[in-house]
Amino acid sequence: MKKHHNNPDSCTACTVCIANCPVTAATRKFRGPKMVGPTLERMRLSHEDVEPSLEYCSNCKNCDMSCPSGVPISTLNMLARAKYYKTRKHSLRDWILSHGEKMAKLSAATPGMANFGMKMSRGILKQIGISEKAPLPPYAPKSFSKLFKALKQKSYPDKVVFYPGCFINYNDPQVGMDFVAVMQANKFEVIVEDGLVCCGSPLVVNGFLDEAEENAKTNIQILKKWTDKGYPVITCCTSCGLMLKQEYQELFHIEGVQEYAKHLYDAGEFLLDLHDQGRLNTDFGTLNEKYMYHSPCHLRAQGMGLPGLDLLALIPGLDVQDVDGGCCGISGNYGFKAEKYDIAMSIGSTLFDKIKESRLDTVVSECGTCRLQIGHGANVKTLHPMTLVRRAYEAKQK
Amino acid sequence: MMRENDIIVIGGGLAGLTAAAVAAKRGKKVMVLSLGAGTLTIGGGIVDVIGYLEGNKPVATPSAGLLQLPAEHPYKKIGRPAIEDAIKFFKEICEEEGYPYMGNLDTMQWVPTAAGTIKPTCLIPKTMNTEELQKANKVIVLGFESLKDFYPQLITKNFKKISRFKDKEYETVMIDPNLAEGRDVTALDVARWLDTEEGISECITKMRKVIQPGSVVIIPPVLGTRPNYRIADRLEQALQCHFIETASVPPSITGLRLRTMMVSYLKKIGVRIVEQATVAKSIVEADKCVAVVTEGIDRERTYYAKSFILANGGFYGGGLLAEPGKVIEPIFNLPVEAPEDHEMWANYSLFSNEAQPFAKLGLEVDEKMRPLDADGKVILNNVFVAGRNLRGYDYSFEKSGNGVAIASGYQAAMSV
Repeated sequence: MKKHHNNPDSCTACTVCIANCPVTAATRKFRGPKMVGPTLERMRLSHEDVEPSLEYCSNCKNCDMSCPSGVPISTLNMLARAKYYKTRKHSLRDWILSHGEKMAKLSAATPGMANFGMKMSRGILKQIGISEKAPLPPYAPKSFSKLFKALKQKSYPDKVVFYPGCFINYNDPQVGMDFVAVMQANKFEVIVEDGLVCCGSPLVVNGFLDEAEENAKTNIQILKKWTDKGYPVITCCTSCGLMLKQEYQELFHIEGVQEYAKHLYDAGEFLLDLHDQGRLNTDFGTLNEKYMYHSPCHLRAQGMGLPGLDLLALIPGLDVQDVDGGCCGISGNYGFKAEKYDIAMSIGSTLFDKIKESRLDTVVSECGTCRLQIGHGANVKTLHPMTLVRRAYEAKQK
Repeated sequence: MMRENDIIVIGGGLAGLTAAAVAAKRGKKVMVLSLGAGTLTIGGGIVDVIGYLEGNKPVATPSAGLLQLPAEHPYKKIGRPAIEDAIKFFKEICEEEGYPYMGNLDTMQWVPTAAGTIKPTCLIPKTMNTEELQKANKVIVLGFESLKDFYPQLITKNFKKISRFKDKEYETVMIDPNLAEGRDVTALDVARWLDTEEGISECITKMRKVIQPGSVVIIPPVLGTRPNYRIADRLEQALQCHFIETASVPPSITGLRLRTMMVSYLKKIGVRIVEQATVAKSIVEADKCVAVVTEGIDRERTYYAKSFILANGGFYGGGLLAEPGKVIEPIFNLPVEAPEDHEMWANYSLFSNEAQPFAKLGLEVDEKMRPLDADGKVILNNVFVAGRNLRGYDYSFEKSGNGVAIASGYQAAMSV
């Protein structure tokens, strides 16, 4: 298995990362991945060197994806950001954006009130540095974990563990429910563990690395019980997936992570693997529908292609085209920040233009915050691929 | 039920992308496994076919150069007809994508560089064509304030030493893109500025003040980041001038356009590209490869296909690995003949007239681009090699990189 190596000296300063960095394209305030990442990392190794433009890296990972020398540039940036905040205080804004899970739990008792409150408090959010134009996601009336507990699944000997992640759990639980329905249609029982916490991705990008590591330890301890027994762990959110299996290894030194990472799957990837084994339920009804598909950067970074798109190609009648418009700009909570909002919208503009040109009214994408940003920037509806797969099964039964 | 591809291309550089395009055009189901964005964005986005022979001898035309190559050169195995077909195919893609290239094997194109030298090449975007420059009596060299690596005075000074350009009148002018805030300014920043409506309008206004209509203007490669000529056409119309882009240091805008165009074309014709795919090994049965295996940070993934095209580069791209005393091809473990004494791999004399021995190390293939063993026997029947990992040429020395990439990618995909 590939050994992870954060060596800045592997960088030959070829500049491909700069040509592929969407933030560099959108703002001159960012000095670019090469300079802020490997070049400055050599300085940081010997003494503290504060680079203000480090704030502008969105951790979208396009630099890592373009590097011919395998340098995890964005990870070097996140480690440098963590080092910076070791001796400095975070802003209230960054704390709030990093602790979406805590905020959600506070609001969970009364989501209706929380949503109402959020509208009322946009002015307050603006005061602390959250853009008033940002597409903040509303809380769902019932969280995924509540809906899941109320659901009566059929029991099957084959089981998978589902990691919902904060966005699906609190904002978009229907995606989780669609996933469970799809797994049931494939004679799998879905296990959801109670003690799982936020994957830590929003914490890492804001420099709360220690807290992220605590989360990592909690999640790994719970999930490892299952992966050690060979159970697959599945995510429907590509940023959670990337974090759980790749960034945990790049950022932290936790025992046994390599072994555990082998059993983590994206939902689309897992279903396609079932297809390869000849055991995917392909009894799909016809969906005479046409959509654009947006590939999240955090999926592309995982080195597995675009399994969601390949999966949807199995559904009769369904026409889904890859927009191929690059990063949407949101990068988790980057685009929510007042000083980053315009940058995020500028990054996403190519994608939004291509979507608008298609004249289709719905875009399919795995990532929850990509869907938010696309809905906001291109004024279209959005779907997770699992929703379409579920519909295809249901179309058959009708 | 297994998802099987007809062809898996390993490598996302120009050789791999060309091979994938050819194969997909032939109706094959193609997947590209690619690590990094290839080296296209470092190279100049032009297609060198052959510029110099051993001893640093310039060739009159690529055609003439092809005739004089030694038998071991990849072009000799590919043969002239396939090279011509490959170039035709490449130019058709460019045409279809709205970013036509010009040039042919019988003409040597000389493109100006940002250092004020000229370099021989074969296929170029039309913004690098120097015909108008040769005709002009007066030439304007236009720079941008705070742009690094493009100094109009240097270009003028060196052009005056080049016979075909020396008898012209030169004027250097500067305009300010107002990009000084933040990081250093590169040609990429200026090109991105011109991509925007405000940028191009502002640029036109500023250019009007310093250049006369009817001028021939040499500028850095800043005419937009996208693979089309909209920015060039817009400027030429607005200013009634002819613009010529120079080759420049990375990040190469012309290289970026070429890559964007190839990837966009491949997606349109249904080629699947898997990014971040590190191909680590192959599964071989007898003289056939059944599958290749990628190693992710999570786990291995196996990709099956009927045939494979190996186009993952040389030492820089990771297609060849150098170890003390030996060179390794890591995926199929194909033999690479290299002097045991690795002191012999390099030519140590500065500004030498000879190619670098290490650059010529690589895989031996037959005319179908299949890998051969030391006895000249085909090792794997369904594996074809293309691009920088082929032995027998030093692209940097002889100016042949993208030409070999396109020709060998084409030949490999036609042999499948």
